[in-house]
Amino acid sequence: MRLRGLWKGAMLVAASALLIAVVTLVGLIGFVYYNSNGGQDWNTPMEQLSNALVWDGAAYVFADDALLEEDRWAMLLDQEGQVVWSLRKPEDVPERYTLTDVAAFTRWYLGGYPVQSWVREDGLLVVGSPRGSIWKHDIAMDTQVLLQTPAWFLALFLLALGGVLSLAWLAVGRWFRQAQQVRDAARSNWINGVSHDIRTPLSVVMGYAAQMEEAPDLTPEHRRQASAIRTQSQVIRDLVNDLNLTMRLDCEMQALRKEIIQPSAFLRQTAADFLNGGMGSGFDVEMELPETPLPEVKADPFLLRRAVNNLLSNCVRHNAAGCSIRLGARAEGKELLLWVEGGSAEGALRPDASQTLEPDGGAAHGTGLRLVAQIAAAHGGKAEFHSGTPYRCELRLPVKQ
Amino acid sequence: MAYRILIVDDEPALQHMVGEILTRAGYETDGALSCAQALERFHAAVPDAVLLDVMLPDGEGFSLFGRLREIRDIPVLFLSARDEDEARLRGLGLGADDYITKPFLPQELLLRLRAVLRRVYREETHSARLGETEIDWGKGTVRRGGQESALTAKEFALLRKLWEARGNIVTIDALCSALWDGPLVGYENTLMVHIRRLREKVEADPSHPRFLLTVRGLGYRLQREGTT
Repeated sequence: MRLRGLWKGAMLVAASALLIAVVTLVGLIGFVYYNSNGGQDWNTPMEQLSNALVWDGAAYVFADDALLEEDRWAMLLDQEGQVVWSLRKPEDVPERYTLTDVAAFTRWYLGGYPVQSWVREDGLLVVGSPRGSIWKHDIAMDTQVLLQTPAWFLALFLLALGGVLSLAWLAVGRWFRQAQQVRDAARSNWINGVSHDIRTPLSVVMGYAAQMEEAPDLTPEHRRQASAIRTQSQVIRDLVNDLNLTMRLDCEMQALRKEIIQPSAFLRQTAADFLNGGMGSGFDVEMELPETPLPEVKADPFLLRRAVNNLLSNCVRHNAAGCSIRLGARAEGKELLLWVEGGSAEGALRPDASQTLEPDGGAAHGTGLRLVAQIAAAHGGKAEFHSGTPYRCELRLPVKQ
Repeated sequence: MAYRILIVDDEPALQHMVGEILTRAGYETDGALSCAQALERFHAAVPDAVLLDVMLPDGEGFSLFGRLREIRDIPVLFLSARDEDEARLRGLGLGADDYITKPFLPQELLLRLRAVLRRVYREETHSARLGETEIDWGKGTVRRGGQESALTAKEFALLRKLWEARGNIVTIDALCSALWDGPLVGYENTLMVHIRRLREKVEADPSHPRFLLTVRGLGYRLQREGTT
């Protein structure tokens, strides 16, 4: 879900960047094409002007004065560099030109006037514009480089696009994380608030139910009912606790307080606490540990205990009293395998095959097992659930290097 | 003498229920619904211990805790609906004697309160009885059938650790750590030898123990039925 949102955001930004790049590029090319003529910026093509100047046998006649704007001027030089015809030629423009003069002004300026020239059979037509009105430039490029220009252009374009996309990815990621944090905080506050509000009334229900169970004047039926209220309240309590923790792990709001754990001692203590708490009364707990010492793991003991406790509670909940619960550990490569197995004892009721252990089940027990999977994942490991008889869950945790 | 417990919680139903549980267990109780009331009752009722909620209408239990401790250093147990690690660590970090998360079972509350009171007010028991066997903690001896035998330092520590667990299972790791202050590795067999010798002193038939029981794969427990 989160990845999809991030992907959509990035695609949106990429499409925007691409659109901006394409519009800019096309606009630039269009602008240059529209305003240039043969690489120079002139208002009227020289060929037209040259065609308008004709020799009528006695003198030169310029057929269409409108072709040359008011502020521009023109002159025709013969093969010797002498002006033979002119129109609005400024006074400071000479009447005769040497080869050097012609070479200079065709490339740059003539006495500060930007000029353009056109070669005719009878000489050279020169058209001038006001000083400072046009910037002339000279381009010379290696042919090889010119041929490579499209490739260079594309490479630069892709580089710019890549830069824009990288920045966009970072910006979208940051924006998405902030939005996610806000959502997580709201969700966390809501669940915290609800669970907080449930806890106090649940204390009263559990407290009175437990007291009723011990009341000497209660009928067996009422005692059973009081016991059911107390037991079911404990189920709600576990559910609230699991829900809270699962949400905190989901939102990455649960800081892991890792310690070095010796698996055998940890499992023995967890099982002993489980039995001492009266949660496994009527069940045999069998411990299966190898003779050789197990590798240590670095884990949050509170969370790991919670995971194993959930698995033990699950076995109790889905098995008839008298069954045995087995738990143990062994090393497998660079992993430590902790397992809990709830089988049926001889002569006891067989567990209902439909009550399978599913990590993401929707029922109350599903939350507990989902939490087990989350705790394993938070430690860089994984949980595997094997339904059937006996039920078995394996926690694989990386060993401390 | 009954201990007087001040219950500070803004929920009257919960306060009433906890009051009933404690009264039935032989404690005297007093209640307060807010920080201001708690301070007033703290002066007037002179309690021996306080059960303190964290979220109160006129302030936080953590701040109230500091003010109560300034007045008198008595045991305080937080009784809170906040179960986050941060809240628990903050409460215990401030120096509270325990942090109990709601909802709780009455038995859990009583056991924890009793443990704190015993620790703070040093309810030392000088002797104990394990069936026919009398244990004298002061002298470090056991007497059975008129015959007194001294416990070695290790046997004494072992018996004390199991006794203090009040019938609960104590893992072999916890026993080794109590006896040798180190890890289990290498001590399993020595521990078994000490257990066997202890059984010879406290059990009528050490081969079929009635009190010092083995919990296979986990550890040992001292059966407290028939004990005082």
